[in-house]
Amino acid sequence: MLKVDGIYTQYGKIKVLNNVSFEISAGEIIALIGANGAGKSTFLKTVSGLIRPTQGRVTFMDRDIQGVAPEKIVSAGIAHVPEGRHVFARQTVQTNLEIGAFIRSDAAEIKKDIERYYDIFPILGERRNQPAGTLSGGEQQMLAIARGLMARPRLLLLDEPSMGLAPFLVNEIFRIVGQLHEQGIAIVLVEQNVKKALKITQRAYVMELGQILYHGKSSDLIEDDRVRKSYLGET
Amino acid sequence: MEKDAGSLIQNNSSKSAVVRRILITGICAAAILGLPLVVQNTYYIGIANFMIIYTILCMGLNLILGYTGLLSLGHAAFYGIGGYVTAILMTRHGFSFLPALLISGILAMIFGMILGIPTRKVRGDYFCLLTIAFGEIFRLVAQAWIPFTGGAMGIVAIPIPKIFNWVIRSEVDFYYLGLILVGFTWLSLTLLIGSRFGRAFVAIREDDLAASVMGINTPMYKILAFSIGSFYAGLAGSYLAVYQTTITPSSFRLEESCLMIIMVIVGGMGGMLAPISGVIIMTLATEAFRSLAEYRMLIIGVIMVVVLLFRPQGLFGTAAFKD
Repeated sequence: MLKVDGIYTQYGKIKVLNNVSFEISAGEIIALIGANGAGKSTFLKTVSGLIRPTQGRVTFMDRDIQGVAPEKIVSAGIAHVPEGRHVFARQTVQTNLEIGAFIRSDAAEIKKDIERYYDIFPILGERRNQPAGTLSGGEQQMLAIARGLMARPRLLLLDEPSMGLAPFLVNEIFRIVGQLHEQGIAIVLVEQNVKKALKITQRAYVMELGQILYHGKSSDLIEDDRVRKSYLGET
Repeated sequence: MEKDAGSLIQNNSSKSAVVRRILITGICAAAILGLPLVVQNTYYIGIANFMIIYTILCMGLNLILGYTGLLSLGHAAFYGIGGYVTAILMTRHGFSFLPALLISGILAMIFGMILGIPTRKVRGDYFCLLTIAFGEIFRLVAQAWIPFTGGAMGIVAIPIPKIFNWVIRSEVDFYYLGLILVGFTWLSLTLLIGSRFGRAFVAIREDDLAASVMGINTPMYKILAFSIGSFYAGLAGSYLAVYQTTITPSSFRLEESCLMIIMVIVGGMGGMLAPISGVIIMTLATEAFRSLAEYRMLIIGVIMVVVLLFRPQGLFGTAAFKD
């Protein structure tokens, strides 16, 4: 579905991604793990078009999308839920979801989708008329995910959805991510919570200093000594 | 005060609220339309006419600043472009007022695009600096290009405007012409804000990055907001030209742009009619303290500080205004 082939990305003269290749099939769920500054967020931003790679190819459903504007990538079927939630703070929950459907014009279906996400995230339904800025961190994260889904993506890029949340909310977010995967959406999950991420994903890529060090089945990586040492804090 | 404004904006379902709303709107409309019948002194009508000019300017600026969140300190330049275009077309090329008005708006919009395209990806403060630079370049060109703009003396003897058989000559005539323009501005901007465009503008203001990943072409919508806002400045400039019958560069200084920003901020950003209160207060203050010459900017500054201390969102802006 998505194939990234040897991309290089830089901010000015600082090289961030160095020959990164990555692949995800339809309906798959993949974790992307690595330390802070490894380039995970930059990788997602490159895929979603927020940053242009200097070299390499990104193909999505047999279309080259490297260097394509972000709004066209959303239309192609990739939704990016950026790190730090980025909800429209002064707009209501409802309006946030409506803006999430910006690329769509099927008003009736949009309404249905909004109701569907109020079912999946009941707390959002209760707060539909509240400004998003008044929600708690966990609720904002749920809103950010639901808003991303409003574009009806085939591939969802989730950047650190559990960051800064209380433990029971972290579990809730992971439960929801698993549920979305079961509905058939392909997901790339960037996470600091490596153990949980490896548990709910099928495969994982480990990134360090802008490169993919290794990748494999999540169930294998969770037993892998390198992963255990570097990311699970075990010796 | 706040509650009243809120219920006016929010669609209250109870019948009494609807009746009250219609009543308030009706009284306001009657008061505005009937003002020249009550106030006979043309000096006061003249002040009202300047309020009208600033209302058009500030509604356009509010689209740029209040809805889309772009701080432009070059609004006076687009106002000036409108003024010079009308002055030149009517004095030298025999245009009548309506086509000159339209062309003024469109040219201001085109210049808005010309400035908007290279600055579309420039962030906040840098964008602001570039708009200041543009405003100053415009004023200097207007001052120096004597064969075309008349230099510091400007363009004089702009003909009396006529719309079909209506000769617009007296202060009262200009008052009603201005009201028509305000009505047009309000109506067209309300339609724009209610459309998906409005949604995109607000999304960009709230969070540029999130807007991008929602599939909003943020550079394009920024250029649109900026050039459409400039269109109204062009209309205001055109009105100024025929109203004053002269156009000089001194009407379009940086101070004018600052004053417009102050009006929008004091009135309240993001609400369609909120800037009008800022326009009224600031115009009255400028008139009342005219004798103090330069020092009146000091008083205007104090007014702004006081308003922002007690109502940071402006007089009629709401902290969580609906888009």
